[in-house]
Amino acid sequence: MKTLLAIALFLASGAFAADGTEILRKVDRNLEPESYEMYRKLVNIEPDGSRKEFVLFSAKKGRDKVAALFLSPASDKGRATLRLGDNMWLHIPSVGKPVRITSLQSVTGGVFNNADILRLDYSEEYNVQSVQEEKDAFLLALKAKTGEVAYDQLKMWVDRKTLLPSKIEAYAASGMLIKTLYFSDVKDFGGGIKRPATVETDSPLYKGYKSVMLYSQVKRRDFKDEVFTLTNVSRIDDLRK
Amino acid sequence: MIMPGNARGEGTRKRHTAFALVLALMNSVGSALAGEYTFDASEFARKPYELGGYVEYRHDRFWLNKNGAFYGLAFQGRGEPSSLTRNAATLKLEGNYRHGAASVRARTHLEYDHEDGSSERVTRFDELAGSWKPGPDLTVELGKIALKWGKGYAWNPIAFVERLKDPNDPELAREGFWMATADWVRTFDGPLKTIAFTPVLLPTGKDVNSEFGRTGHTNVAARLYLLWHDTDIDFVYLSGGSRPSRVGVDFSRNITTSLEVHGEWARVSDAQRRTITAEGQPRVVHGKADSYLLGMRYLTAKDTTFIAEYYRNGAGYTESEMEDFFVFTGNALLQQHTTPADELVRRANVAAQSGYARAQPMQRYFYLRVSQKDPFDFLYWTPAVTSIVNLADRSFSISPEIAYTGFTNVELRLRLFALGGGDRTDFGEKLNKRRVELRARLYF
Repeated sequence: MKTLLAIALFLASGAFAADGTEILRKVDRNLEPESYEMYRKLVNIEPDGSRKEFVLFSAKKGRDKVAALFLSPASDKGRATLRLGDNMWLHIPSVGKPVRITSLQSVTGGVFNNADILRLDYSEEYNVQSVQEEKDAFLLALKAKTGEVAYDQLKMWVDRKTLLPSKIEAYAASGMLIKTLYFSDVKDFGGGIKRPATVETDSPLYKGYKSVMLYSQVKRRDFKDEVFTLTNVSRIDDLRK
Repeated sequence: MIMPGNARGEGTRKRHTAFALVLALMNSVGSALAGEYTFDASEFARKPYELGGYVEYRHDRFWLNKNGAFYGLAFQGRGEPSSLTRNAATLKLEGNYRHGAASVRARTHLEYDHEDGSSERVTRFDELAGSWKPGPDLTVELGKIALKWGKGYAWNPIAFVERLKDPNDPELAREGFWMATADWVRTFDGPLKTIAFTPVLLPTGKDVNSEFGRTGHTNVAARLYLLWHDTDIDFVYLSGGSRPSRVGVDFSRNITTSLEVHGEWARVSDAQRRTITAEGQPRVVHGKADSYLLGMRYLTAKDTTFIAEYYRNGAGYTESEMEDFFVFTGNALLQQHTTPADELVRRANVAAQSGYARAQPMQRYFYLRVSQKDPFDFLYWTPAVTSIVNLADRSFSISPEIAYTGFTNVELRLRLFALGGGDRTDFGEKLNKRRVELRARLYF
C-alpha cells in the first residue's frame, strides 16, 4: 500500500512538473513567436531622473539564435550583437570585427544585461523545479540548465488567464536577488501576438536605478540560418524592410 | 465676505479657470508620465540611404625625452624643444546607399593637425566600397575595405591584409586597402555550427596599395572561419608577393559567463629584419618568424574588466640588437655636426625608419588594461589604466584615463601617458616621456 502511495505521489509530482514545463513553454510562445523581428527602446533611468535611451532592431530564429542592431543614439548606431546559444559577440563598427562578450556584461549599461537584451526562450535555459498555484497566478521556480546561464534561479509569476509573466525575480547561485522584472501594458501586436509592451527592471545592486524595455512592431518572420553568423553580424541592417 | 453678483461670478469663473488649469496641468503631467514609456518604431523605418559619423577634437601635450635616442634623431638640427603641443580636428563622415541587393558605402577621414607652428591636412577615404549581397550566405565586395582579422585586443599577428593597429588606441577606425573580397557562409547543426570563407585579392601598384609592400603584385589572401564546439577558429593565409607569404590561426572562446580567452599564431616564411651593429654596419636577417599572442578578458561582479595579453613578435628585435642600435645612435649623435658623424646620423635614421622606430619593435610584450564601469555609482564614468611592458628590458608605458559618456552622443576622454625605463631600453629611449591627451567626440 505504501509502495502504491509512493508511486502515486511520484507520478503526481511528475505530472505537476510536466505542467510547469508546459506552462513555461506556453509563456515563451505567448511572449514571442519562435522566429520574429521587433523593435525595442531601452531606457536607463538614473536616481536623479535623467535618462539614456537606446533603440534596437532584433531578429530571432528558433530556440537559440538572436541578433540585435543599435539604431539610436548616433554614438551607438551600427553596433550589433549576436547570440548563438551561450556564445555572444558584439560588433563595433570602428573596431570592425566582432568580439566575444559575456552574458553578465551590458552593451547598454543600466540594469539590463546582455542576457536580458539577447534573451532566449526561458524553456531553453531553465528547468521548472516547482509550480505553486496562487489566486491569479502560477508561481514557477526555475533552475538554470547549465552554469553558462546568466541567472541561476528565477521565480516567475504567470497570469493564469493569459499565461503571460507579470513578474520575474532573478537570483544568483548564492541565493542573492539580482534583479526583478515587471511586465505590463499587454498589447495586441497583430498576427496573434499579444504580449506585455513594457518590461521594467530594478535591482538591489543598482539602488535608485531603473531600466525599461518598450516593444514595438513585434512580427512573426522567418530568416535563413546564415543571418545569425559572425560574417553577417555587421550586416543586420540589411534585414530591415 | 459678500461679493456682488458679477464679482462672485467672476470669482467663480476664476476659480473654475484655475481649477481647469490645475486639471490640465495634472493631465499634462499625467500624460507625460503615461507617455514617458511610449515607443513607436515607425520613426526608425529603414531609408535607402544613411549618413552619420563624428567630429573629434584632440589636444595632446608631449613632454619630450631629451635624453632619448629618438629625440636626438627627430630634432637634430631643429632646436631642442622640451615639449610639444598638438591640436587636431577630425571629421569621420560615413554614408551608405542601398538598392536591392547592391549597396555602396563610404567612410571619409578629414583631419587638420596643428603642432607648434606647423600644420598638416589629411584627406582620404578610409573605406569606399560597393557590395552585392544576393542573400545572407554570400556577399561580394569591391573597393577600399578595412578588413580586421585576429582575436587579439592590442595586437594581431594574423592581421595580414590590414594596417598596423595602435595598441594605445586599438578601437580606432583604420584605413583600408583596395581589394576584391567575398564572404561565403554556411551553417549546420551539431558541434560545427558555422563555416565561412573569405577570399581576398589585393593588387599593388604605383598608385594602388603602394604602402602594402612591393608593387606590381596581385596578393591572394584567404580566411576560413569555423564556429566549432562554441569556439571561434580562423585559419588565414597570405600568398607571397608584396610581402613574404604567411599562414596563421586564431581562436576565441568564452570559458565562463565572465571569462573569455583568445589566441593567435602566425608564421612568416621569410621574414626580414634590418639591423645595425654597434659600429654602424647594416645587416639583413632572414628566416622564419613565428609570432603569437595569448589573451583573456575577465569581467568581475563589480563591472571591472581586465584585458591581459602576452605577445611574442617573432620578427621583432632581440635585446642585444636593440642595444646595438642605441649604442650606435648615441655615438652618432655625440659626434654630430662633423661631416662623418652626419653620415652616421643619416645611417641611424635609416635604421630607425626600417624598424627600430616602430611602436613596439622588440619581441616580448605584456599588455594589461583594467577598466571600471560606473565606479562608486558615478554613472557613465569609466576610469581605466593601461600598461604595456617590454618583458625583455622591463621598460614600460602606463596610461591612466577617465572617460565620460553621460551626454547623449558625446564622448569625452582624458588620458595620461608615462613611459619608464633606463638607458638603452625600448620605452626609455622613446621620443616622449610624458603625454596628456584630451579627446572630445560628437556623434551625429
